[in-house]
Amino acid sequence: MTILDPVWAWSTFKPTNRQPWNLTQAAHLYRRAGFGVGRGELQRAVAGGVQRCVKQLLHDNQEPQSFQDEMARMTRSIVASGNLQSLATAWLYRMLKTTDQLHEKMTLFWHGHFATSAAKVQDAFMMQQQNDLLRKHATGDFSKMVQAISQNPAMLLYLDSAINRKTHPNENFARELMELFCLGEGNYTEQDIRELARCFTGWEVRNRAYRFNKYQHDFGKKAFLATQGELTGQQAVAHVISTPAAPLFIARKLVKYYVLDEPAASDELLAPLAKRLRKDQFQIRGTLEMIFRSNLFYSQHAVARKIKSPVEMVVGIMRGLSIKTDLTLVARRLQQLGHGIYFPPNVKGWDGGRTWINSSTLLGRSNLMHEIIHSENTTFGNKSLHAHLQNNRIHSLAHAATYFSDLFCAMPLSNHTKAQLVTSAQKETNNTDQQFKSLLHQVVSLPQFQLG
Amino acid sequence: MLQNTATTSAILASSTTGINLPQFLLNASESQDENANDNVLVVIQLSGGNDGLNTIVPFKNDRYYAARPTLAIPKDQALKLNDELGFHPAMTALAKLYESGVLSIIQGVGYPNPNRSHFESMDIWHTCRRKTQQRDHGWIGQSVTTALLASQSTPILHLGAEKQPLALSALTPRAISIRSLEQFKLRGNQQAIADAVALGKFAQPDEGNNGLLDFVQSSTSAALKTSKQLIKSAVQDVKRNDAVTYSNSALAQKLQTTAQLIDSPLNTRVYYVTLDGFDTHAQQSNAHQILSGQWSSALGAFLADIKQRGQQQRVTAMVFSEFGRRIEENASKGTDHGTAAPMFLAGAAVKAGVIGEHPSLDDIQQGDLKHAVDFRQVYATVLDWMQWDSATALNGEYSTLPLFL
Repeated sequence: MTILDPVWAWSTFKPTNRQPWNLTQAAHLYRRAGFGVGRGELQRAVAGGVQRCVKQLLHDNQEPQSFQDEMARMTRSIVASGNLQSLATAWLYRMLKTTDQLHEKMTLFWHGHFATSAAKVQDAFMMQQQNDLLRKHATGDFSKMVQAISQNPAMLLYLDSAINRKTHPNENFARELMELFCLGEGNYTEQDIRELARCFTGWEVRNRAYRFNKYQHDFGKKAFLATQGELTGQQAVAHVISTPAAPLFIARKLVKYYVLDEPAASDELLAPLAKRLRKDQFQIRGTLEMIFRSNLFYSQHAVARKIKSPVEMVVGIMRGLSIKTDLTLVARRLQQLGHGIYFPPNVKGWDGGRTWINSSTLLGRSNLMHEIIHSENTTFGNKSLHAHLQNNRIHSLAHAATYFSDLFCAMPLSNHTKAQLVTSAQKETNNTDQQFKSLLHQVVSLPQFQLG
Repeated sequence: MLQNTATTSAILASSTTGINLPQFLLNASESQDENANDNVLVVIQLSGGNDGLNTIVPFKNDRYYAARPTLAIPKDQALKLNDELGFHPAMTALAKLYESGVLSIIQGVGYPNPNRSHFESMDIWHTCRRKTQQRDHGWIGQSVTTALLASQSTPILHLGAEKQPLALSALTPRAISIRSLEQFKLRGNQQAIADAVALGKFAQPDEGNNGLLDFVQSSTSAALKTSKQLIKSAVQDVKRNDAVTYSNSALAQKLQTTAQLIDSPLNTRVYYVTLDGFDTHAQQSNAHQILSGQWSSALGAFLADIKQRGQQQRVTAMVFSEFGRRIEENASKGTDHGTAAPMFLAGAAVKAGVIGEHPSLDDIQQGDLKHAVDFRQVYATVLDWMQWDSATALNGEYSTLPLFL
């Protein structure tokens, strides 16, 4: 790949005749910054212009209080039931229904970043509490979020740090704080881990709550990452975040999540984002804005340069076609496809990119879509697929093929491919609604659809 | 960690008539060198960092008991394999394998400048390369690319729901991952989808090459091809063996399936399974006991099965973990990340015994064991046994060890 000029990359994208702001670009923005929208919203986004669309996504979509209350009621009753799988269903529901897609997408990012699995924590209350924490800080202050997560009961239990005595400090949390949460592997030594671990001695979980046990805290002098002193756990966290590797590490993860799976972005390319993060004192929103307004984001280096996660795939198509279906089943299937929300595979979260794809998950993706599309419990805008498309003035299979391609395929389908899909759908059945369903299932089984 | 593989692999293992294998998978050997063997490697990955010191216990070592006040295995409980060493008491099956002369224990395996991050260390074991080096492909994937003809359809099979291990990654062929046979069947209009996928390959609208699209396309083609033929073909060649009882663990079920597939005309050369949960930072004792018993008994059943099927000479199982654990236990009755640990080879072709000295608990670095054997020496030896070239895959020449008869 040609070396990208960081100045060009992060300058504000100005549509031109050659690179217009159109339906394709708007679909790209919604797919990445959120999960996706239907055709009507895309057309409004195109008419309003790219800058307005970004502003809206970032600032104007707050969930109404009534929706927040509805979600709070739902999660309260799930926590009371203790059913961990239902937590995932509820979050899926939120991703589908929220007005603030960007915020939920970012919450999902942090769930992968501060990965904690209900399979080990085995407690709906603590898992939901952590989810609320991630949502609260999702586009806000990273420093506050790290401080909060460091004392989060679910996290401490997950990392076996619910008891931490000064005689033999447990290194697990100290290691992951630097390796996975703040700095990245290679930016600290084993000695740093051992010293940092001492700062967290006496941090405990009792009765599902964080507690500081001063009798087990090591109040002595510690030395790590070029500092020393009688540091507390909070001071230690603050120091870790203040080192130069931290903003670069977060910038790198954001670019991988929102802009491109590969190739890995160079430090030079990331430097302006890292600088912005530092300048904003780790307020995330400004950096997101920089990303979604950038030349790079709308360029060929970014468009279709990501593989959809299973959640992006499902929520995207469900939002795009106003699908209602059995969410419990979908949540379960997502777990089988390697993207079980509340059940990340390990503390590193989801690697994303090519690791989403293998023979098993590819067939699983296609089969899940088949299950959704053909289920008796599924409706499209409360109607059949055919009726829903007619409402959107899509009357022919050929028109529908283009519609699906525009909405869901980051790499548009060629006319030849679309024509062949239509022929196959017609051959398969005489039932019009079934033909549209067959067409849709074919589209979502293609490699072009897997790109986000 | 997630046990959702248990039921699905049970489907795989117990589908009554066995798994139907297509003709195209059945034999690729006619096009191969006649002298080439058809040896099979079964890799068992213990994820999370297995505690080597509590797996092969140095029960005469006072330093061991001093470092592990709550976790040490008492001398009278270790299953003694010689005057100084014993197996974890849960590993009766492994002890039997050792007695019957089909188990090799390679002591103190690691690599220079050890990394104690799970993910970095696992990547090192999978690619034989450090982070600073280009490492898109795994040591097994690379070996297969170099050694086998591209026409061989399923040289590598990964059984499990977790992401495909990097060790298997190769440009061509794509390793196949199977979670369950049921899920490995494509619903809907298979032919239409296959046709459209084939068409898409030649119709990239963009001027720029998109490596991701190429990757998804070749992966989709491979998946469709294998799925279609795996399902369609009705070969009744997979034989159940009810004389051997496997436990209910997911690992045991996967190894049972592996044994069935090895004893079928499917010419897969490498099978890959994992067992997760070894990251025992707290309350290690119980968890490690369960896990140790799981892989020990699964491996015992597997080798018994393979023997009854008369396949024992061509099958070797290799067991590894990304690192061992710290000598001293921590205050949570667990152990933190360490370095060197034992590896295991099992099978009739294996030269049984203990290779190398138990790592010293006195001559240590940063509180951790020093390695004596580089894991790439074990890989080189195994690849040699497979008659596959090792230099490219291992990123260098490594001396082999006396691990095979």
